[in-house]
Amino acid sequence: MRLGRYELTLEPRPARPAIFTALTAVVAILLALALSSFLFLSSDTRLIDAYRAVFSYAFFNPHGVLATVHRSIYLLFCTYAFLVPFRAGLWNIGLPGQVYAGGLAAFAVPFVLRTHNPQTLALPPGLLIVLMIAAAAAAGAATGGFAGLLRAKLQVNEILVTMMLNSILFWLVAYMIKEGGPFMSATGEGESFGLPSSLHAPLLLGVPVTAVLALCVAVLLDLLFAKTALGYRIRAFGENPAAARYGGIIPVALSLLVFLLGGAFAALAGYHYFAAVPGVYKIPGNYGYYGDLGFYGIIAALIARGSSLGAVPIVVLFAGLSVGARFAQGELRLPFGVDYALLGLLMMTFVASHVLYHFRFGWRRIPSEALQPVPTELPRG
Amino acid sequence: MWELVARSLEASTIFLFAALGELIDQRSGVLNVGLEGLMLFGGTAAFITAQTTGSHALGFLAGLTLGGLLGLGHGFFSITLRGDQVVSGMGLWILSFGLTTYLGSPYTGPLGLGRIPSLWGLSPFFPLGVALVAITWLLLFRTGLGLAIRSAGENPAAAEASGIPVTSIRFLCVALGGMLAGLSGATYTLSYNPVWNYNFLMGWGFVSLALVFFSMWNPWILLAGASLFGIMWQLSLSPELILPGVLSRYVWRTVPFAITIPILCIISTPWFRTRWGLAKPEALGRPYAKG
Repeated sequence: MRLGRYELTLEPRPARPAIFTALTAVVAILLALALSSFLFLSSDTRLIDAYRAVFSYAFFNPHGVLATVHRSIYLLFCTYAFLVPFRAGLWNIGLPGQVYAGGLAAFAVPFVLRTHNPQTLALPPGLLIVLMIAAAAAAGAATGGFAGLLRAKLQVNEILVTMMLNSILFWLVAYMIKEGGPFMSATGEGESFGLPSSLHAPLLLGVPVTAVLALCVAVLLDLLFAKTALGYRIRAFGENPAAARYGGIIPVALSLLVFLLGGAFAALAGYHYFAAVPGVYKIPGNYGYYGDLGFYGIIAALIARGSSLGAVPIVVLFAGLSVGARFAQGELRLPFGVDYALLGLLMMTFVASHVLYHFRFGWRRIPSEALQPVPTELPRG
Repeated sequence: MWELVARSLEASTIFLFAALGELIDQRSGVLNVGLEGLMLFGGTAAFITAQTTGSHALGFLAGLTLGGLLGLGHGFFSITLRGDQVVSGMGLWILSFGLTTYLGSPYTGPLGLGRIPSLWGLSPFFPLGVALVAITWLLLFRTGLGLAIRSAGENPAAAEASGIPVTSIRFLCVALGGMLAGLSGATYTLSYNPVWNYNFLMGWGFVSLALVFFSMWNPWILLAGASLFGIMWQLSLSPELILPGVLSRYVWRTVPFAITIPILCIISTPWFRTRWGLAKPEALGRPYAKG
């Protein structure tokens, strides 16, 4: 673009140091928070009070902190579910579907073994809990792996397939818990049956064991990508599939593997929210809301630039914001969906920061010879 | 029976408008996977405008305008900045999903205006859709501009060398595509189902995107595909018309989505790709750097 005597261009950045990566993430998040001030303008409260309401509930109120922790675990698993295929250059937007698959499979274990009636536990509860977690992971891996397999074998667009699976599983859950479906609770409110207390997830310091699992996975995933041959292959494939093939990397196995892993992580998120959070222990009637929250995982993984440990603080912040925003919405009588609006704003600032991450503005003076007008008269002679 | 057919055809126009816009986009080489986002924004803008002003026409205008502007936004990112088109498209979709949920929620509920008059029970949008298909086909395959659009999508460098302004052509196409997606969303919220609720589209945009791949980038095949999906969608809403009492109605709701997957697989097989799939624009999704 030309501005008078100067020329403004976009040039690719030659190097991107880690501090710069962190800085763009922080700027994107701060910008989204600043933009979200507009959401609070419609209420009568002062802006600073609105933010205070959000943060003090999410990070200082005992109920709020617990809700933030649970949501962080949920969102962390969703983040990994998006992050692993994304490192291989593939888009897993099937997080809600895989979350539902995990929830359904976890509930299928006590249902099939007829132990949702606490008097007739067929197996020791500890074993059943392990089975529930394993079933959830397997179902999510199957759902995700299906998309990965189609992608690997036939080059079917994974965005479309995972999105179709989201809708399919959304209605399957509706079938299971509504209008006399197999999982419907005895009281029949469009919710699943509740789990007996012996099948509740064991707690550590008041938090389900899934928290430990989520943090361990964060460390393991970063190690996988930084230190192992498999992680290197996934990254190479993500950066340049054609070059990776020449390097001897088998695309079919790799695409399938990342989607199997991704699906299993999303399913663990489903297990966590429907079967391990104290006070829930059932698939609630508004399960669609929890499924769609999984999209926060996409933005968290994108802003963290594919680092699972880097995603942890981002996820905790987002979890707190969405919990606090939901609370503030009731307090300040804002319209529904402040948390979703924040999701949208984050996406917008991310895409903007993405440009600045890859390009820098070049600003140079055009040499004056280049600007001289072309002579209109022929030289004499 | 006629009522069901008319309703199905109305549903198919929503797929058709959005997919036609995406087809024009893709013919010029720009992939917009955030089609559903444009539809959500167009539909919500149309609904809010129509409800506040009491005018359907202004509602449609708002939907078209916002759709076109968002299309241009996608164009700015993917054409001018040469960013990853999937990142921008997905960003657009999540942005729309988040913001329309918030902006639209005070308007949750019915539109409260009279229905748009119909011709013998058939929505006027279906004939409009057929006309648009014919116009698009004529434009793409019988005019110089269409040749320019198609060559920008096949080989932008060669097109540029033969004097076609690739950047302008692509911007024109993303604006047109965005307007059609906005129209599609507006048709949904003002005519097909004039009730606003949370995430009202639930995957219509992604089905439309899949339809473009099925259509082999041909508007007439797109019309057939969209009609088929319209019928299937309407039947999945009222399965009792064909198979009363078989399976839960929720299971039937999965059918249009479930059928999409095997069709996507068939068109992705090597046999299909070599035999029929040559219509795919060669430069689809690839940013073009001049010089």
